[in-house]
Amino acid sequence: METLEQQINGTNSLAELEKVRIELFGKKGALAQEFAKLKDVPGPEKKAFAEGLNKKKAALQASFDERYETLKKEEIEKLLKSEAIDVSLYGNLEQKGAYHPVMATMDKIIDYFVALNFSIEDGPKVEDDFHNFEALNLPKNHPAREMQDTFFCKDGAVLRTHTSPVQIRTMLQQKPPIRMIAPGAVFRKDYDLTHTPMFHQIEGLVVDKKGEISFANLKAVMSDFLRHMFGDVEVRFRPSFFPFTEPSSEVDISCIFCKGDGCRVCSHTGWLEVLGCGIVDPNVFDAVEYKDVSGYAFGLGVERFAMLLHEIPDLRMLFEGDTRLLEQFR
Amino acid sequence: MIITRSWLNNFLDISEVSDDTLYKTLNAIGLEVDSIINYTIPEKVIVGKVVSCEKHPDADKLNVCQIDLGAGIVRQIVCGAANVVHAEYVAVATIGAKLGDDFEIKHAKLRGVESEGMVCSSSELGLPDMGNGIMILDDSIGELVIGKELNEYTKLADTLIEIELTANRGDCLSIYGVARDLSAALNIPMKEFDYESKSQAKIGLARVARLTTEGNVNASLEYIMANISELKTSLLFTLRLSLLNELSEDTLANIIKYITHTTGVIVNAYDVSNVELGDEMITINAKNVNDTIEISVNDKPCALLGIKQKEECKATEKSTQVLFQASYMEPEQLVDVVSEQKLETDEYYYNTSRGSEPNLCFAISYLTYLFEVYYDSTLFDGTLTLEQESSKKIIAISVEEISGIIGNDIPTTQMTNILKSLNFGVQSMGENKFGIIVPEYRHDIENIQDIAEEIVRIIGIDNIEAHALKFVEKNRQNSTMQKYYAKKELRSRAVAAGFDESVSYAFTDKSLLEKYSLPVVDEAYDIINPITNDFNTLRTTIAINLLQAAQRNVHYSKKSTALFEVGTIFSKKREEKEVFALIYTGQKDSENVSNAGKPANMDFETFVKKVSAIVGNFELRASTESNELLHPYQSADIVMDNRVCGYLSKVHPSVTDAFDLKETFIAEIDFEALVPQHINAHSISKFQGVYKDLSFVMDKNIPYNQVSLCIEALELPLLKKFYAVDVYEDEALGENKSLSLRLFIQSLEDTLKDEEIEMTVHSIIEKLQEEYGASLR
Repeated sequence: METLEQQINGTNSLAELEKVRIELFGKKGALAQEFAKLKDVPGPEKKAFAEGLNKKKAALQASFDERYETLKKEEIEKLLKSEAIDVSLYGNLEQKGAYHPVMATMDKIIDYFVALNFSIEDGPKVEDDFHNFEALNLPKNHPAREMQDTFFCKDGAVLRTHTSPVQIRTMLQQKPPIRMIAPGAVFRKDYDLTHTPMFHQIEGLVVDKKGEISFANLKAVMSDFLRHMFGDVEVRFRPSFFPFTEPSSEVDISCIFCKGDGCRVCSHTGWLEVLGCGIVDPNVFDAVEYKDVSGYAFGLGVERFAMLLHEIPDLRMLFEGDTRLLEQFR
Repeated sequence: MIITRSWLNNFLDISEVSDDTLYKTLNAIGLEVDSIINYTIPEKVIVGKVVSCEKHPDADKLNVCQIDLGAGIVRQIVCGAANVVHAEYVAVATIGAKLGDDFEIKHAKLRGVESEGMVCSSSELGLPDMGNGIMILDDSIGELVIGKELNEYTKLADTLIEIELTANRGDCLSIYGVARDLSAALNIPMKEFDYESKSQAKIGLARVARLTTEGNVNASLEYIMANISELKTSLLFTLRLSLLNELSEDTLANIIKYITHTTGVIVNAYDVSNVELGDEMITINAKNVNDTIEISVNDKPCALLGIKQKEECKATEKSTQVLFQASYMEPEQLVDVVSEQKLETDEYYYNTSRGSEPNLCFAISYLTYLFEVYYDSTLFDGTLTLEQESSKKIIAISVEEISGIIGNDIPTTQMTNILKSLNFGVQSMGENKFGIIVPEYRHDIENIQDIAEEIVRIIGIDNIEAHALKFVEKNRQNSTMQKYYAKKELRSRAVAAGFDESVSYAFTDKSLLEKYSLPVVDEAYDIINPITNDFNTLRTTIAINLLQAAQRNVHYSKKSTALFEVGTIFSKKREEKEVFALIYTGQKDSENVSNAGKPANMDFETFVKKVSAIVGNFELRASTESNELLHPYQSADIVMDNRVCGYLSKVHPSVTDAFDLKETFIAEIDFEALVPQHINAHSISKFQGVYKDLSFVMDKNIPYNQVSLCIEALELPLLKKFYAVDVYEDEALGENKSLSLRLFIQSLEDTLKDEEIEMTVHSIIEKLQEEYGASLR
């Protein structure tokens, strides 16, 4: 019997063990042969012989089960080992793409104003003189037109120099109260380190009954918006001039790089100019034949926001599909 | 607009106002400060008096000067500048003076001659370059005291402030104008300039000259005349004009520039040196010519008022008899004629078109003062004047309305005090109502909101309390907003699929569009003033922009580039359309261990999968585009809802060559087609369906989409879907191919019966046989 035991424990694989199982426990196996001897055992010894055989069978079965477990474990271990790979080689096989930082910044700005229940409005990129200039209190030959170098088309149309014409279109199509933003591309004939012939603006306009909307309201929303965008910054309003607003103001934030101490980015002033705004000029309301209304308007350059927010050094790079820049935003 | 502290000080005592306060106040009142430069002259640079000057024994170009440095000290200093010979007072950097981080003046020997100091030029002292040689001092900067530190002369060691003036503030295009605005904000009274001519000239100007007008001459004019013997530009003028970067060769031109910059009044000088004096021998005629005002002197047209003075009529430093003209015209009169008649303008048009100073007397008395006191010239007695009838602008305001615009309650007295300090007339018109008379120089003030702005800028926006707006709300989620969110979703999927978002100019190079037979915006609608030739037309496709972007990335050693853009393109008739465009160039996978670092390049199938993952299902049909960007045999129309809404193609190899690209694929789809549509659910069958495969032999030139359209047209109710699963061609098939279709057949109402399946299959076989002669394999 020891040899049978040895046979079981001597197996090195499940296949070998299976062979041994058949040799031992099979119909013609060693145990079956032993049990066959039972019929030749004399009566009185039969019981003891059978008991001995059953014991032996149970012991062998236990050995077998134990061996099976061991070998099964080894087998799985072997399989697992054979499947081993260096998982660290497989990081980053696929990349997701990146939002363009200017578009992502535009999204963030839009989200703020949509949360304040501003509608989004749109208008054509190729505009007529009326919507781009005339209705915005920029009469022909006005020196203020020189502030914006314009692309002209042969038929007299212009590429919109700002998103402000969308104000006019919206006011003509809708009725007050109005609360809108107009995001989109605008065009100016200017091309150097800090200017590109196309860039993006977001225009905002709020119109309600006369006396309802004041400069104090504009100040509140602009301050909150800029803190939403840039975090804990100081906001400064400076009187300025835009033909379509009066009073007008340029808005600065304390420099986000030097915290107002003065650095290269803020030209050592401690302030960064980020947007323009004001109370809608009565001439603009006249142009769209609105009576007894008041309103405020604002406009900002999205590239400027994006460059400040993400410390992007070069404006022109933003328009070149340069993946060295873009992939940083994945 | 450039101002300096000492210059401002002529009209406003700002000696007690710090630079910081000045900077803050200018910004607060809307005169944005661009930069501030403090000119500091190093210590131990002092006023010296040249006692003598001799040629250096050993060097032609050097002079050996004995210079009095005060307190009885005379030092020998070797100087290389030629103009030291004519100098009396000079700036001397004495021993120990530091003219730079590592430039300290020490005892020196120049070619054997002892030198104890240095005679300085302006640039050596950190001042603007004012021409060749050393800086010769004169008392225009203050009384010259030998030995006095130069830094104590505040007109030299001045503070320059550059203001970025907005287009509406023509009144601040002068030192006087800025001082006037600051006076209100700082609450410091103006030092008005006043000078009475002390001239004992015997001849009255009215005797020798006559001013006449022809037609409607809507302008103010004032003339004086001077006999000039010698002009020189003082150090102060030279310095200040150098700070403005306006120093010219001609002394008289410098003086005029200086007067205009100081007073804001436009001054012209006419040369009348050759006119013999006699009764009314000089005639000045102002004549309306096509709505411009032409000034003729002795019948010779010399200037278009406010627009341009003819060069040949300009007096120069050589002129001995000069007629000075101060003039004013309303800017509105000028800008339209100049633009419509395309008139040439001179440097002063910038001022006149924005509104120059109308106070002509001011400039005339300033001129008189300068020429009598500084230049020792003789002036003719009196002036010739033409005064324009000016109607005063009066704006009715109410305190409540102004407070309403600002959003804070502004007390009446504060409001009226501010307006008075800005020289507005204030007339009471009942309780809290006023008529505001606008000063003539404030061209920008037209209505009550302009008045509100004056109040706001003097109070300071920072002092206005912010209030949140109360607003009656309504639903503002319009279709533009829905489209914006659809676009955002699309972009997010493109990003998830590994494409980087690109933004490119809405312009392209016309020659490239033409080269590849792409549509071009009709000339009649195209831009006429492009910025460069690369961007000389409105783009009709984003493809070129993307190919160029891909090319740039190849040049940055990128082995693959995947970009997308949602942007505007234009039709031939310049109609605008937004498209979603994608490009993929180069390797389709990253280089990694699973491809032994050699991934295959992008192929048609993989690109289609990527695009589908972003935009959803679409049908591809053989391309109907005929441009030369596309690969003729791997290009397709993208069809959604049975409408061609874009294309997808391998880029033609000659194009990829031209852009230095490997295998490149491109697609452009109308954004409108990608805006999600409303969807209604349809009923789902409870009954089992069956799949059936059918293989047909048919002409190999028949594209799959024709077959599929043909089957769809049958509108078989049980055919839930079908698709191609195999295409096979070999020699035995010849001009034919074998196309295997898999059908899924299912009924909504019932368990399928064999004959129903048979019917469906049979209809398809019959139809394809009929249409294309296809037979079952």
